[in-house]
This record gives sequence, structure tokens and C-alpha cells, in this order.
Amino acid sequence: MKDGAGASEAAGMDARGAAVIMWEARERARRELTVNCPAIFASWALVYLLGYGVVWLSVRGQQPFHAPAGWALALVTLLALLALGVTAGVTDRAASGVGGVSALRRRIYWLSLAIGLLWDIVMQLALRSAGANRGVLSVFAASAPLLVAGVVLVAGTAAWLNWYMFGLGIWLIAVAAFSGFAGPAGVWAVDALAVGIPFLLMAAITLAPRRS
Amino acid sequence: MSADRLNPVIHAPARLRLMVTLAALPHGDNLSFTRLQDLIGLTPGNLITHLRKLDDAGYVQMTKSGSGVSALTTVALTHEGRAALEHYTAVLRQLLESAEPAQPR
Repeated sequence: MKDGAGASEAAGMDARGAAVIMWEARERARRELTVNCPAIFASWALVYLLGYGVVWLSVRGQQPFHAPAGWALALVTLLALLALGVTAGVTDRAASGVGGVSALRRRIYWLSLAIGLLWDIVMQLALRSAGANRGVLSVFAASAPLLVAGVVLVAGTAAWLNWYMFGLGIWLIAVAAFSGFAGPAGVWAVDALAVGIPFLLMAAITLAPRRS
Repeated sequence: MSADRLNPVIHAPARLRLMVTLAALPHGDNLSFTRLQDLIGLTPGNLITHLRKLDDAGYVQMTKSGSGVSALTTVALTHEGRAALEHYTAVLRQLLESAEPAQPR
């Protein structure tokens, strides 16, 4: 079969037309094949600012410290599940039909995150079983997920060479390490602000180039 | 502005779109036929025609896996394809730059 269509199209395409086609195709590929980070960052900002904020409201002023309200923890869990859903949905949309090395990296990334979150749950049960008091459990419940997310992000940098992710991962690890000094109630407020605000900023930063 | 110096295998709108789209993927990645069709906006028949032309030139590699309903065709840019697109882009840039002084101010 002769490439009649292609040949006739090429005859009508000069260098400037080719440059326009290249630019359009590159932009479309970038838009369609790149993960929409603003949506992901915004959903996680909501988890921390709203979810952790509400937990802090439920524990502030407790003397002695008792525990976060069940409904507040349920709200955090719900928001975290929604954010995970948004992350998975947005990632899957961009990655649909893309195979090869990136697909393998994505699977390893999600597996690492799942193992990390499983570790978090098992460790909480172990601490409870070992007789840890409510204050220790509260600090761990607030900060351990940050440590898991931070380590996964930093490790993910090796695959994606995304230095924003690396910086965010290091920040999450630092917040997880130091926010516990704010105490069993304060840790929720520190984590809410120290993580929620950077996530919100990242959402704004990654949204900016799309609008320009 | 003569486009004769441009690689004729790449220098057709549909194939140029295909090459640029595949080049947007990191090395080692491939794209399914259906996703590529969505991104380029060609009918399956037209897409396969252009892909065969690129395949014959060694610029893309088409891989079929599975059979029946689960059959999957993936397309990836080869090293030669990436190099050819880079050369095409360099020639295109030269053509555009050489045409620049002729533009009315």
C-alpha cells in the first residue's frame, strides 16, 4: 500500500507548519501523559489541614490527655481514603496504556506505600500490646504515616529524579521526627500546619505552569 | 522555506505527531495502540498504516502480546527513531532560522 495520504499531507506542510504540529503534539502528550499533581496535593492538603485540624480540636485542652474523638479519627480516615482514591485515579488516568519501565516503577511505588501503611497499623497494635500510654499512641498515630510517606517519596526520587518530591519527602520525615515534641495533643496541630500548608503550596506551584 | 531536507518518513503530519508523542515517553516505556489512537486522533486503519511506515524505517517497534480479547499491541520509539527525530528537529530549526531574515519587519 502506498502512503498516498501521508505524501499528500507532507506536500502541504512547510517547516513552520511542522514546528506547530510538533509543539501541539508535545503539549498534548505532556498534558495527557503527565500526572495531574495539583489535584493530588490539594486532596492531601485537605487530609492534613481539615482532618488533622479536626482531631486537634477534639483533643486540645484535654487534661489529662485522653484520646482523639472517634468521629474525628473516622473523618481523617475517610479523607485519607478519598485522597488515596484521587491519587490512584489521577495516576491511572495519566498512566493508562503506558507500559514498560514506568509501569514497573509505579507498581513498586504503590507496593512500598502499602507495606509502609501496613507497618504503621501493625506497629500501633504492637505499641498498644506493649502497654504504651495514650500519649505515645497519639504521637505515633499522627506522625508514623508521615514517616512512611516521606520515606516512599525520597525513595521514589531515585526512579523519577523529581527534586520537588525529594524535598517534600525530607520535609515529611523531619516533621514526623520533631512534631512529637509538641505533645500528644499539639502533634496534631503541628502536623496539620507543617504538612497541610506545604501541600497546599505545592498544589498552587504545580498549577501555575498549567495556566500560563 | 524548503522542506526538502527534512526526513520524508517523519515529515508527514500524522507520523510527526506519532514520533513526538512517543518521544514524550521516557526511554524504556511503550504506549498501547488504543491510547496512541486516542492521543493522535486517527482511525485504527490510518494509524496502522503510518506505524508500519515508521516500523519499516526502524523508528518504532510494535509488539503484540496475548490473543483474542486480551490481545495488546504496544508501540515504542527505538534508539534510531529518537535519533532521527532529533536530527529532524535540528534540520527544522535550521530551516526556520534561515527563513527568519526573510521575514518582513
